[in-house]
Amino acid sequence: MRWLPLLLLAPSAAALAQGAQGDVSVTIYNDDLALVQDVRQIALPAGRSRQEFPDVSAMIRPETVSLNGQDIGIVEQNFDYDLLSPDKLMEKAVGQVVTIVRTNPGSGAETREQARVLAVNGGVVLQIGQRIEVLRDDGLPVRVIFDKVPDNLRARPTLSVTVESARAGTRAAALSYLTPGIGWKADYVALFDEKAGRIDVQGWITLTNRTGTTFANAGTLLVAGSPQGAPQPQRWIPAPPPRPGGIRNAGTQSAPRERLGDYYLYPLKERTTIADRQTKQVSFLDVSGAAARKAYEYRVGWLATNEEPQSADTVLKFSSSAEGGLGDALPAGTVRVYMRDARGSPQFIGENAIPHSPMGSELALKTGDAFDVKAKPVVEARERIGTSRWRTTMRYTLTNARPDAVTVDLVQGGLDWGWSDTRIASESLKSERQASDATLWHVPVPGNGETTLTATFETRY
Amino acid sequence: MSPGGLSPFVAAIALLATPAVATTVVSPGPERVSVTIYRDPDRSGGGTLDLRWLAGFALVTETRTVTIPAGESELRFEGVAEGIVPVSAIVTGLPGGVVQKNRDARQLSAAALVDGSLGRRVTIRRTNPETGRVVEEPAVIRAGPDLGVILETKAGFEALGCSGLPEKLVYDQLPPGLSSRPTLSVTTRSPAAATVKVSLSYLSSGFDWSANYVARVAPDGRTLDLFAWLTLANGNGESFPAADTQAVAGTLNRTRDDGARDDGPDPQLRLQCWPMDSTRSAAESMTPVPPPPPPPPPPAPAPQMAAPDVVVTAARFQAVQEELGDLKLYRVPERVTIAANSQKQIALVQKTGVPFERLYTATVSAELGDAQSKPTAILLRTKNVVARQLGVPLPSGRVALFEQAAARDILVGEGQLRDTAVGEDVEIAAGVSEQVRIALTDPGADPRERLMTLTNANPFPVKVEVLIRTSPERPMERPSVRLDTKNGLRLWAAPVPANGSATLRYRLKPNG
Repeated sequence: MRWLPLLLLAPSAAALAQGAQGDVSVTIYNDDLALVQDVRQIALPAGRSRQEFPDVSAMIRPETVSLNGQDIGIVEQNFDYDLLSPDKLMEKAVGQVVTIVRTNPGSGAETREQARVLAVNGGVVLQIGQRIEVLRDDGLPVRVIFDKVPDNLRARPTLSVTVESARAGTRAAALSYLTPGIGWKADYVALFDEKAGRIDVQGWITLTNRTGTTFANAGTLLVAGSPQGAPQPQRWIPAPPPRPGGIRNAGTQSAPRERLGDYYLYPLKERTTIADRQTKQVSFLDVSGAAARKAYEYRVGWLATNEEPQSADTVLKFSSSAEGGLGDALPAGTVRVYMRDARGSPQFIGENAIPHSPMGSELALKTGDAFDVKAKPVVEARERIGTSRWRTTMRYTLTNARPDAVTVDLVQGGLDWGWSDTRIASESLKSERQASDATLWHVPVPGNGETTLTATFETRY
Repeated sequence: MSPGGLSPFVAAIALLATPAVATTVVSPGPERVSVTIYRDPDRSGGGTLDLRWLAGFALVTETRTVTIPAGESELRFEGVAEGIVPVSAIVTGLPGGVVQKNRDARQLSAAALVDGSLGRRVTIRRTNPETGRVVEEPAVIRAGPDLGVILETKAGFEALGCSGLPEKLVYDQLPPGLSSRPTLSVTTRSPAAATVKVSLSYLSSGFDWSANYVARVAPDGRTLDLFAWLTLANGNGESFPAADTQAVAGTLNRTRDDGARDDGPDPQLRLQCWPMDSTRSAAESMTPVPPPPPPPPPPAPAPQMAAPDVVVTAARFQAVQEELGDLKLYRVPERVTIAANSQKQIALVQKTGVPFERLYTATVSAELGDAQSKPTAILLRTKNVVARQLGVPLPSGRVALFEQAAARDILVGEGQLRDTAVGEDVEIAAGVSEQVRIALTDPGADPRERLMTLTNANPFPVKVEVLIRTSPERPMERPSVRLDTKNGLRLWAAPVPANGSATLRYRLKPNG
């Protein structure tokens, strides 16, 4: 007898499965945030009615929901997250009558009884006729059948909107909201040809969806930028020295891409289904033969000795400019660099992250440590020349086990600690003072040879 | 590489998983595979492999032949390493190019079945424990899987697994979009049907390699033979038969964010019930043993690195070194099988008759007097040049040093070798000498005077190198022996005669 109502309930059950979404557009930002716009056809009666919206992101930020449609006024929006569970079901049944079915362990015979739930505190206390019992006190099997589930308990967090409609009829209603759980970044594949001094770069947009919801056949637009955060306030401790990787000179060119204010937009050419727990990649950049070169860099953090030679960084330098570069603004992501081995197969030689890079930027990425190019700084002498004046003589030995000559960009950092009174008394090769704290030498090192560089610094400490 | 092809079960899922794309082509495994193994960038000093947690990685390049239809199709790659970094996958050779690459991590599990069947018709099957009679009833899943499962039947609402009866859910069909394991697929749009060779390459975690050196000192004590094993390990459940195998030495930059762990946790099925306290002891009554989850779970993957299978290949088979940018690539000369959860060793370096110098070393402070004598460290030093029978790049690794005595090899020292380029010094730690000792004393007459004494209880002369740290405030003055400089420190290089001693006297500059 109750079977019929159950079947009538089926449409709402089907609506819980995929398919309640309408025409979906998703705008995805870098920092794990997306704006979902979902235009659904809904049948509204005239007057006030409550509409449920299943199939929204399970991580929806309900305070950002808005609904727009013709002749619709919003009365209230609710986001119900009181979830249906056996525990809740029993709690809400206190004072009500349930059916219990006992199975005789000896004969297997079933007996049915009506019972009133008196309390659910630790155990379930039932009143059956004139008897008071604790449910399954003897451990024997007892099924408990409830007549109904409370109205406000749901299987999933559910968004509902009470609307006031001027007329009856089906019309389009646009639901929009923000949700975390979807984000994107770029992944680049760079094939470096060292002899020719060129790279081929393919750029892929990588979408990830962890919202618990699949967005079917969605028009997708990616925004390179973070509308959420202003930059972090300046930290009071001095920032660590810049690691090779990222923009050396920010570009000043505009890429031929769609944009919104300061953000570049990357629309996907076709509609796509972004499945739950899916990582999706779509190509957005394919450049062959951009100029690139390899460089060696080594930074000495302060006036200190290394007892063993250390490898210099291998740095890949290229440009995102229109002239001889990649010719595009590059969204933040990871660049994986490959080189061909002696048999011509591409082999991985390292990866690094780049920030959002305007077109025309000079980029330098550390790919790894050079096995054959090493540097060894040594404090040769240190003497006091005044009450707060010290003279330190440094000797840098740079070795190169490669057959060809290389140039190492050697940086001595940590020269002063904000006093700006460090002087380079003498040096065997002219350096470029990058800042009061650091100086840079371009040191040529012959093939299978070594170069020794000396410098004397006068510092406060 | 599941050579047997697809089971019908997987094929059914593959078809269900892609309702949007017309055709699905499954590539069950590669014909030819190349594996390049990279070391854990953080295990810089050599170290040993932890077979349960291999923190290196590999570049796997596979060649597969696939037949694609005209128009849009989805090509699914099976038999890839489970440690795949999906965002690193590169697919080339498709005539229509790649429209998109997807990696789906929604896996078929007990919880995913409940989750995907929410609001749908299933069957509840109860077995009477006494009579064995099975009663089936249609039901609709109303809640689950996180906080327990609630079913609606024609009798009303019930919780699954709370009655104490054996009961389970039976499903008619699989929910869409679930796969038996995370799957990499690409969508392509081919102008015509074609059978093509496709190359798939990707980075994968769960690999590592190390270099392990064995140095044997010749009976005359003047030369040594240096041998190194290249030890490769694969912690993936996937085997790579007849693979072109390479290993890369040197340190690569990696970024932490490799996208491999973006999947988030898998949903869990928890059959929770209402409170079950009883009037008897809690321990006895608090056991509403939930029945096993309704569907049989997919077969558990093989336990990680259970009983690793060590394969030692003959040493005449040596890796060939070539340059790869600023890294060193070692190529295994023949194709080998990299089995799942195994390690394999082949020769990396074999050098014989390397002349070396035996040194005793100590580093002391010039100021502190300590009458107690201290042992010195033994070091074998040579130079990585052809003239000394070396002259090849030596990747970092552990070194075990053996000498012969009593007609057998005896381990005399264990140390580490850093990445050593051609032309650099090679120093092999050879243990500690209690026979050659150093003491720093304060002879008494002048408080600023120091006496450093080296003693040798061996019946042969030794060479000792003492590095002396000085403070810039109190440099050493008037040493009795000429001192050199090394690494900015004063160096006393002293020959000490057999059963004899050597001394160094100096004064410290007065304070202030």
